[in-house]
Amino acid sequence: MTTNDWTRAQLVECVLESVRQLLAVGADFNPQSDLVAAGLDSLAVTQLMLAIEERTGIWVDESRLTPDNLRSAETLAACVYEQLADG
Amino acid sequence: MSSWRTGDAPLTGADCFLRSFDDEARRFHGASHLSQLVLRLGPNFDADRFRVLIRAVVEATPILRAPIRRRFGVGPPVYRLARAGAAPFPPVAVEHAPLAAYDDTALPALFAARLSARVAMERGELVRFDVVRYGDGQRTDLAMTWAHLLFDGAGSELFIRRLDECFHGRRAIADLTADDPAPARPRGTLRERARRAQWWQAQMIGYGAAPPRSLGGPRRRVRQALAYDVVTLSPAETALVTERAAAVAGYLTPVLFYLAAAIRAHDAVFTTRGEDPGHYLVPLPVNRRAKGGDCVVFRTNVSLLWFHVAREHVGDLAGLVAELMRQRRDGIRDGAIEAATAAMEFVRLAPARLHSWLARNNLGGELASFYFAFTNEFLPGMATFLDAEIANGFHVPSVLPSPGTSLIMSIRDGRLNVTLIWQRGVISDDERLRLREHLLDDLVGRASGAEPLRSSG
Repeated sequence: MTTNDWTRAQLVECVLESVRQLLAVGADFNPQSDLVAAGLDSLAVTQLMLAIEERTGIWVDESRLTPDNLRSAETLAACVYEQLADG
Repeated sequence: MSSWRTGDAPLTGADCFLRSFDDEARRFHGASHLSQLVLRLGPNFDADRFRVLIRAVVEATPILRAPIRRRFGVGPPVYRLARAGAAPFPPVAVEHAPLAAYDDTALPALFAARLSARVAMERGELVRFDVVRYGDGQRTDLAMTWAHLLFDGAGSELFIRRLDECFHGRRAIADLTADDPAPARPRGTLRERARRAQWWQAQMIGYGAAPPRSLGGPRRRVRQALAYDVVTLSPAETALVTERAAAVAGYLTPVLFYLAAAIRAHDAVFTTRGEDPGHYLVPLPVNRRAKGGDCVVFRTNVSLLWFHVAREHVGDLAGLVAELMRQRRDGIRDGAIEAATAAMEFVRLAPARLHSWLARNNLGGELASFYFAFTNEFLPGMATFLDAEIANGFHVPSVLPSPGTSLIMSIRDGRLNVTLIWQRGVISDDERLRLREHLLDDLVGRASGAEPLRSSG
């Protein structure tokens, strides 16, 4: 899959999978769950961005990692999607 | 892990890494590698009840005075918990001073002297408390000074919280460590850990090709004599600094903004001296507590991420932050944090002096350019300690005569504390002021030489 082939839904799934690998989240963790409450700290978010880069080929600019964008897997996926769209 | 009451509690890899510095402090500087937590308290602190509390907590928590030794002289060093009962209780010393002696802008000289002391970890001398009570108790300064490996910074704050919980009956004294999991250990098979440790070793050897230069210079035999001062910014200044940190280094990694400012402040002193340090090498502590493992109080639960910066990157603050961000990202991608953990784990088996000896041999007699940490909020959400208002609080880890300087930052109740620790003789008063002013200029984004900020140091 090239960088431009990702849909929003696929990115949400990609973020969710990466979060599940990095953090000890429960079965009820979903696209709207709070990432910071789940244990996402500065180290984990960098590991998450690296995992996303490995899958999508895109490194998300740190300046985009605002509290709003890091609220949930869904908002983070939207942020990645925007960066993909921006090229 | 063995029982907290009767068995042996092994030192972590990071403990043994710090023990290497302690060995150097003993053999070359007549001191120990200690750390300190300072609380500046308002009225109502009852020193007598504090002393009673500490005695009860120590009786129930043997690690606080357990001799640190290798079993039968071999193997990794451990806390001999079963021998703790024979060790003396940690001292709680109370001094009285007139209220007029209290100074918002200065700390008791006694505290810095405690940081330069020598303790016998092999006899269980691990922690002490010094209380300076002003007037009729309108103000109190409290310093907890410990062998640096007993707690890390986060652990020391947890310990203070638990003392307060015990004092108010929210936690049974006997259960101070009841819900403590064992510290995180490196993951993977022995082969995988050995490969990571080798990677780390190769990285450290690589730094030897462009070794750092500290303000203290290579190691020399001098008596340890530490001093420190603290600058406390106002809430408005702190808001400005944190806003800048987020803008320059990102919302999640403001630490790199503070580190960049610290490097540039040191560079300003080298410039004043007319010297070129060539490269900067600074280790950044990384908390290794597992998610949900925030309750690990004792022992050092950190790894290290090293930053190696050529002087050509230092001229521009934003450019330096970008370089540090790149190094951090690459380091995490390459597994540098796990590699450092694995390497430190192997150090447990080696003679205490090995790490320090190897590092200095490789780095032209140096260990690092300086020590640095930004520990975020200090005791967040905790307004009082034993019913006395916490007016301010911060960490003060010691630093060896080489590198000779350390910058530690944290935020207490919306105010940034910047603590500079230095070995006497390493840096002149003029150089220290230059370092401080340059640092504050970068933090708040002022042109150098503008009106100085209010400071408490």
